[in-house]
Amino acid sequence: MDLAFLGETLLRLASAIPTTLELAFVSVSIGLALALLLALLRASSVIGAACVRAYVFVFRGSPLLVQIFLIYYGLGQFDAVRESFLWPFLRRPWWCAILALALNTAAYGSEIIRGGLAAVPAGSIEAGRVAGMSRFTLYRRIVLPLALRQALPAYGSEIIIMVKSTSLASIITITELTGTARQIVSDSFRAIEVFVCAGLIYLAINFVLTRAVLLLERTLTPHARGVPR
Amino acid sequence: MQAYFSLIGFGPQGWGAQLAWATLMTLSVSVAAFATGTVFGVAGAWAKLSGGPVLRGLADAYTTVLRGIPDLLVIYLFYFGGSALLTRLGTLMGHDGFLGLNGFVVGMLAIGVVSGAYQTEVMRAAYLAIPRGEIEAARAVGMGRALMLRRIVAPRGLRIALPGLGNVWQQVLKESALISVTGMVELLRQIHIAAGSTRLPFDFYATGAALFLLLTTITSLLFRGAERRTQRHERAR
Amino acid sequence: MTDVVTLRDLHKSFGPLKVLDGISLTARAGETIAIIGASGSGKSTMLRCIPLLEVPERGDITIGDETIRMNTARGGRAPADSAQVNRLRGQLGFVFQSFNLWAHMTVLENVIEAPVHVHKRPRNEVVDEAMALLEKVGLAEKCEAYPAHLSGGQQQRAAIARALAMRPKALLFDEPTSALDPELVGEVLGVIKGLAEEGRTMLIVTHEMGFAAEVASRAIFLHAGRIEEEGSPRQIFAEPTSDRTRQFIRRYLERA
Ligand SMILES: Nc1ncnc2c1ncn2[C@@H]1O[C@H](COP(=O)(O)OP(=O)(O)O)[C@@H](O)[C@H]1O
Ligand SMILES: [Mg+2]
Repeated sequence: MDLAFLGETLLRLASAIPTTLELAFVSVSIGLALALLLALLRASSVIGAACVRAYVFVFRGSPLLVQIFLIYYGLGQFDAVRESFLWPFLRRPWWCAILALALNTAAYGSEIIRGGLAAVPAGSIEAGRVAGMSRFTLYRRIVLPLALRQALPAYGSEIIIMVKSTSLASIITITELTGTARQIVSDSFRAIEVFVCAGLIYLAINFVLTRAVLLLERTLTPHARGVPR
Repeated sequence: MQAYFSLIGFGPQGWGAQLAWATLMTLSVSVAAFATGTVFGVAGAWAKLSGGPVLRGLADAYTTVLRGIPDLLVIYLFYFGGSALLTRLGTLMGHDGFLGLNGFVVGMLAIGVVSGAYQTEVMRAAYLAIPRGEIEAARAVGMGRALMLRRIVAPRGLRIALPGLGNVWQQVLKESALISVTGMVELLRQIHIAAGSTRLPFDFYATGAALFLLLTTITSLLFRGAERRTQRHERAR
Repeated sequence: MTDVVTLRDLHKSFGPLKVLDGISLTARAGETIAIIGASGSGKSTMLRCIPLLEVPERGDITIGDETIRMNTARGGRAPADSAQVNRLRGQLGFVFQSFNLWAHMTVLENVIEAPVHVHKRPRNEVVDEAMALLEKVGLAEKCEAYPAHLSGGQQQRAAIARALAMRPKALLFDEPTSALDPELVGEVLGVIKGLAEEGRTMLIVTHEMGFAAEVASRAIFLHAGRIEEEGSPRQIFAEPTSDRTRQFIRRYLERA
């Protein structure tokens, strides 16, 4: 075991953690906003709902890597895109990765929101109605808290999946954690040690995130505390 | 439009034959990986459910680690790590130079162990979802462990696990695209090649997405059908 | 008369909770024994010890003339020979409170499962016999139905046919009607009564006192893991000697 090499590797890999986290954070934030928009659109009209269903179908049914390539390599095929004001963004791997990750997680997120809303027991809504709650109060006091409780664990897993998915950005040249590991391997030819170190870092990140989501769940839903699920 | 169809068609300028072959490769590596995962899943679920503390700890570590790190990293580890090991082994046995691993094998193993971690959880949950009373009834009529496994636990558990296994399959099918990093010519790799050589990346990546959608849709319908067929006893008529 | 099931000095605890505290009981061929007692008195545990669904810490269980061999290992007591246990289980029929039919099998498949796969009898023969049994419990036309599509009463009658298909030396019933809607209780009790009249050996844990008085040849009152009183049903219900039995019967009559 070459401790000096391991230490150096861990240091270099650690310097890439912010890039990974930033990719995840930015795309999850944009993706959540999009997911909420999609949920609204789904509720707005029949046509809106059909569009959302098609969107979800496409983004959940095809590989994320294909989506990344479609945006990164594919869009440049069109002159209109290359001449538009968006080109400075779309020619950059960073923004292409963000865009693909966000569009992808929005599809899953909107389904999680839908599941959360659908899981609110009809009886709870009825009980609110007979208590004379307005539609707004009903949503604020009954529906959303219950839906959030239901959706939070699933959304927590989605965040973890997104952290893992950021590794695909390395394929379009972004040197986040996995990309950096690849570089170190091509310098040192010591694949196993380096990738294991990178894996440990991902595990640590996801461990912390899991704990954070659990903590959030506990604070947001005190009524569920101690109840076996 | 016509230009597009001749591009992906089976004519002289068309990429149809290559794409069809690549689609087949994607399907076969996915099936192989899923089957590998089933082996790991059965072993993992068994270890978690009836193993001693050591086995259970190992199985817990297995599922935690493989569900906590990116699939791409697992593929790299198997591809580069495996090749490094193989080369070292080759040197020991008097072979000079680099020995690489076959992309298909790497994909099958890497995606297989990852999917095995998910299948472990699906199967464990399915076993626990079998009503205890039905197991007890099997004990009461004198079934031994093997017979009970074959006649009650496996068929009952499989039916419960089917939707979960369907999800894992979808995941495997999509993750199989990552194997393209090893250079193995599956669907995404073939699309990549065609996109480069025709300079029509959008057309080809969109085609690739559509082909993957086709695969996920058809296979999910197959799973749905199997569920409906085996679960008619669950639903009231 | 031959002894079919013999329990000798059974002791069983769950953690610190002593549930059976020295139970001895013999069921002779053709007897119908009603086991009554308050909830938690150990009735189910006693019944479940017979096919070794629970393993007693002390005491012997004999089915026919074969006593289940036990080993006392460091971790506790366990059957010495699981093949023997399975063979003896195959000579009993157990009917559960919650039916416990196998949900992935039709009624007929449930009934023939153990004879075909445990007893390894020829399938054709077993199917004929199973159909006759289903006829007897009034379910012949439901033989292709899955349990989920049956009422509770039908499920329990199917479970009884499943137990009968074992050609059991003794039938064990653990509160067979407690999970049923009141209007379905009668159909199941009717079937059990018919079995008693056939002269089958049965042990029935039940809260249906009228039924117990009618069909049982002997009644046993369990209290705190011991047999508090034992006698003919008439004696137990009409003139119990133990205060506890009297209290239990009185409380039952008040509720009814
Ligand atoms: N598997 C078990 N683990 C722990 N306690 C149990 C178990 N089974 C039964 N008990 C306890 O043993 C006591 C007797 O149970 P049981 O034999 O089911 O009583 P009965 O059938 O007379 O109502 C009860 O207090 C019950 O809670
Ligand atoms: Mg009981």
